[in-house]
Amino acid sequence: MSRHLLSVLLFLPLLAALVVMFTPRQYLRTLRGFSVGVMLVEFLLSLRLLFDRHVDAVDWSSASYKFVEAHSWVESLGIQYKVGVDGISLWLVLLTTAMTPIALFSSWQSVDTKIKEFAIAFLLLECGMIGAFVSLDLFLFYVFWELMLVPMYLIIGIWGGKDRVYAAVKFFIFTMVGSVLMLVALLYLVSQYQHLSGHYSFDLGELGRVQLPAKAQYFCFAAFALAFAVKVPMFPFHTWLPDAHVQAPTGGSVILAAVLLKMGTYGFLRFAMPLFPVASHFLGPTLAVLAVIGIVYGSYCAWVQKDVKKLVAYSSVAHLGFVMLGLFSLTTQGISGAILQMVSHGVSTGALFLLVGIIYERRHTRELDAFGGLAKVMPFYAVIFIIVTMSSVGLPGTNGFVGEFMILSGAFSSEVLPFARVFTAFAATGVVLAAVYMLHAVLKMFWGPLDKAENRGLPDLTRREVYALAPLVVLIFWIGLYPSMFLSRMEPTVNAFIEGYVQKRNATVDLEEARLGAAPAGAGAEAAQADIRVVAPGGAQ
Amino acid sequence: MSLPVGALPLEAAPIPAFVALFAPAVAALVLAAAPALRRRGAPASWVTLTASLLATAAAVTLLVTQLREGGSHVWMASWLQINGAGVGDFGVRLDGVSATMLLVVCVVATCVQVFSLGYMHDEKPPAFGRYFAYHALFLFSMNLLVLAPDLLQLFAGWELVGATSYLLIGFYYQKPSAGQAALKAFWITKLADMGFLMALMVLYKTTGTFRWDAAVTAATATTVSGLLFFAVVGKSAQFPLHIWLPDAMEGPTPVSALLHAATMVAAGVFLIVRANPLFAHAPATRDVMLLVGSGTALFAACLALVQTDIKKVLAYSTCSQLGYMVAALGAGSVFGGFFHLATHAFFKALLFLAAGSVIHAVHSNELADMGGLRRRMPVTATTFIIGAMSLAGIPGLAGFFSKDLVLASVEGRYGWVPFGALMATAFLTAFYMGRVVFLAFFGEARGHAGHAHESGGSLLVPLLVLTVPSVALGWVAAPLAHLSGATYELHLVGVVPILAASLGLGGFALAWVVYGRGTLVVSALAPLERLVATRAVNRVYEVGYRRVLLVVADVLGWIDRYLIDGLMNFLGWSAVAGGRALRRVQTGNAQDYVFAVVLGAIALAAWGLLP
Repeated sequence: MSRHLLSVLLFLPLLAALVVMFTPRQYLRTLRGFSVGVMLVEFLLSLRLLFDRHVDAVDWSSASYKFVEAHSWVESLGIQYKVGVDGISLWLVLLTTAMTPIALFSSWQSVDTKIKEFAIAFLLLECGMIGAFVSLDLFLFYVFWELMLVPMYLIIGIWGGKDRVYAAVKFFIFTMVGSVLMLVALLYLVSQYQHLSGHYSFDLGELGRVQLPAKAQYFCFAAFALAFAVKVPMFPFHTWLPDAHVQAPTGGSVILAAVLLKMGTYGFLRFAMPLFPVASHFLGPTLAVLAVIGIVYGSYCAWVQKDVKKLVAYSSVAHLGFVMLGLFSLTTQGISGAILQMVSHGVSTGALFLLVGIIYERRHTRELDAFGGLAKVMPFYAVIFIIVTMSSVGLPGTNGFVGEFMILSGAFSSEVLPFARVFTAFAATGVVLAAVYMLHAVLKMFWGPLDKAENRGLPDLTRREVYALAPLVVLIFWIGLYPSMFLSRMEPTVNAFIEGYVQKRNATVDLEEARLGAAPAGAGAEAAQADIRVVAPGGAQ
Repeated sequence: MSLPVGALPLEAAPIPAFVALFAPAVAALVLAAAPALRRRGAPASWVTLTASLLATAAAVTLLVTQLREGGSHVWMASWLQINGAGVGDFGVRLDGVSATMLLVVCVVATCVQVFSLGYMHDEKPPAFGRYFAYHALFLFSMNLLVLAPDLLQLFAGWELVGATSYLLIGFYYQKPSAGQAALKAFWITKLADMGFLMALMVLYKTTGTFRWDAAVTAATATTVSGLLFFAVVGKSAQFPLHIWLPDAMEGPTPVSALLHAATMVAAGVFLIVRANPLFAHAPATRDVMLLVGSGTALFAACLALVQTDIKKVLAYSTCSQLGYMVAALGAGSVFGGFFHLATHAFFKALLFLAAGSVIHAVHSNELADMGGLRRRMPVTATTFIIGAMSLAGIPGLAGFFSKDLVLASVEGRYGWVPFGALMATAFLTAFYMGRVVFLAFFGEARGHAGHAHESGGSLLVPLLVLTVPSVALGWVAAPLAHLSGATYELHLVGVVPILAASLGLGGFALAWVVYGRGTLVVSALAPLERLVATRAVNRVYEVGYRRVLLVVADVLGWIDRYLIDGLMNFLGWSAVAGGRALRRVQTGNAQDYVFAVVLGAIALAAWGLLP
């Protein structure tokens, strides 16, 4: 099974969705238990990615893709079913398999209509998310990328709040506009590949060997970057996020924050940056500026929110700004920190959305002004909320600190960012601002007299809620205290990524210079041919 | 005071240091993981107290070993590696400085916890347990800071004590002012911590480590030490970031004694002592420190003169005394700063706890509700007066020796301005402490003070224990100096000690005339009272917060909702509107299509005919 582990992970939820489809809808308990059970099995199976001893390839000190499985799919177009994981996607797959059962499990408390469809949507979503993380063929990636859009659209649009349709459509259109442009750029890249090599391929490694001229890279990078920036979401494409989060049901919010946002940052790291390194090199500082703006701007916006769920949504804009800054610092600790921060943010913000959902179920409001003094009636809830807050604020010992610290030190010592120190200083104010908006919310919710009658009888966490939150709290401290376990397995990939990126960028720059230098000498025809070429294997990732 | 570093192998790991570190950590974990135990109250206090006693015993062992053998030992294990190189280390560094500081922290913490057994007795069991759980967490965090082998671990401890402080200031969570004060303390110190964070970045980029004794250029030393000092200004409540400390008195009084007088606020001073190799190469930073320190000392002492809340007097006094330490370090006297930290920790903890004993008896913080307590609470009164005398620098008591070192170190600097400021502060210190002593313990009983009773044993024993070092610590200055690599010579006869001693005595005498006898009214105090009542410094922050930060946030929030999101929605709307408009073209009428084809043909023909 080890050789097909990724396929098992991909198709198990799909198969389970089929089973659910043929289960009569009145078997509520069976439906609920079965769907969560499958996801737990999925999680346990995904742990084998870390510990599998039967495959020679599972040596996380090497950068190569592991558990690779490739089959031809559409032969004439070179489309493959090709999947694999490396030190980057490994953690995102694990994040997905860990967060999905928690999100679904916690939903069973509040979702009581169309249970069957909800389970199917979640199972399809899991398949789509894992697929997007493990695809090594860009066509396959695109399929999964779009596939996961649909269940999320339905989760927001059907099980959401009052303005759910508006939010769902907004979510869908924002993401769709970006991804269509990405598809165009992808097809252009494939056509160039075909032009050079005589056959089609969507294979990531093969396409990575194409060196587009700088101008073409700009357009392609811009198209990819737009698709991913919307997803991250980067300022100023973030406005779908607060709407989507506020309207989505708790489970949907958890998955949206924990996993779907990471698709954007992952896309930059896996596709946009290595495929178009020259463009990414020149546009990187611009994106880093947007990232820092996102950190400060998102924090300020979070501060003035009256709805605590919106506050958490805006905090995601700030936290993901850190991730983007780390990626474009192009240093080992910056990028490793960014990957770790992706996981950390998934855990902490996932937990925050669960907590917000818990209070919403009890009070049917999320207005900060409606609370106050909750520490008296819900002490255990308050403790967990403060722990997660401290992680979000980046207290040493929790997961938030390690990622943020590595990103900041990576950005500070970055050689590709101009004014790296200024960037870092501005980003560091984000750490202070996080304390401002998060603790402001904590003050409003938990401190003060319990002066509102509706709050007097609120029950503390139920056992179910504790089951959902406990693993996240454990992860908060685990990552915070023992990050080496995660970092040592991603570093080889990160280093190989930086090496390949720099090498390919330099090769393209040399080519451009050769062309510019050759043109006056009258070797126009040759230079034109040198516009694009496939470099030798190994030259790129 | 930089000592050679030799990383020891695992076998040589200093067991007592780990006991001091992990005993409170285990206690905190047990109390966190066993709510049933914690919520019963008393058992929780025993768990924490056992851990603190263990830590204290370990600290004694370490100090004795240091006295006997000396030297500097580092034991580290890396917890954060980048490219195989350890970046974040966890470990302990044992030398004279950390051993002394560890003992100070553990002794004060244990005394405060014993005191709390009685002081917090009326709390409900869950709150009582929670209180002691926080204390265990605090002691772990503080020891993590004290034993840190490098600046990164020190930063971790630094942040953790900040978080514990937040929880303890806000302990009475139903009091709105407590929550506000906790928030204010956390925000302001967090703002200052940005300096620490940036200092770590600069240090890491230039040296690849977080060691304070790494070789650095003068420019780097100035940058790093300047950034670190910014963090110190926040943590050690120096002007202009001092405003959180008086508010922090919202926490229970024993907490004020431990965190906001003796240990946590002194962490800033401790940081400078530790990172002295960096500060030594940065004369510019030290000049700033000298001015900020002596300025804060005088400024806070003036504020302390007119406070009516006994805890607020002590809080401003803490700011002022921390200013002394910072000034001494700025003047280059590392041991002077460190020694004053140690003596101050004991006598200020003593003063706060004695004040707590009074508050416990009269149920009020206001000096106006006290008076004549000398007869009703003799032990509390005696210990408080001894603490006050030590603070005022009465000869022979601990505070006299350390203050003398500080004053001697700033002699002649900057045209004697810092010296003058600190001398004036010495006088004011004696005066405001005398004021408290005479208002609270002498004269007629006011308010509930007439029915006050002396506190019980668990409150009095810590007072008596803390009295010992408050009196005697000065006489062991020489071995302590030796421990931290300095030399100390006792010189009782000289201009500075005699002047300081007479100013201290004079301050007390004046306070006796004004508040003891009531024969003299100091008219200068009335305008000062009015000035303090304007809360000018706080106002600046409030305006900055309300008029600038909140407005910026509101404006950005508005822009986001209406401009940016509005633009996005407009784009969506225009696509829909465009589609709707274009739909009209598709009339479905055959004649219209034929007409369009003809028009198109004519247009093409015209284009073809053009030259």
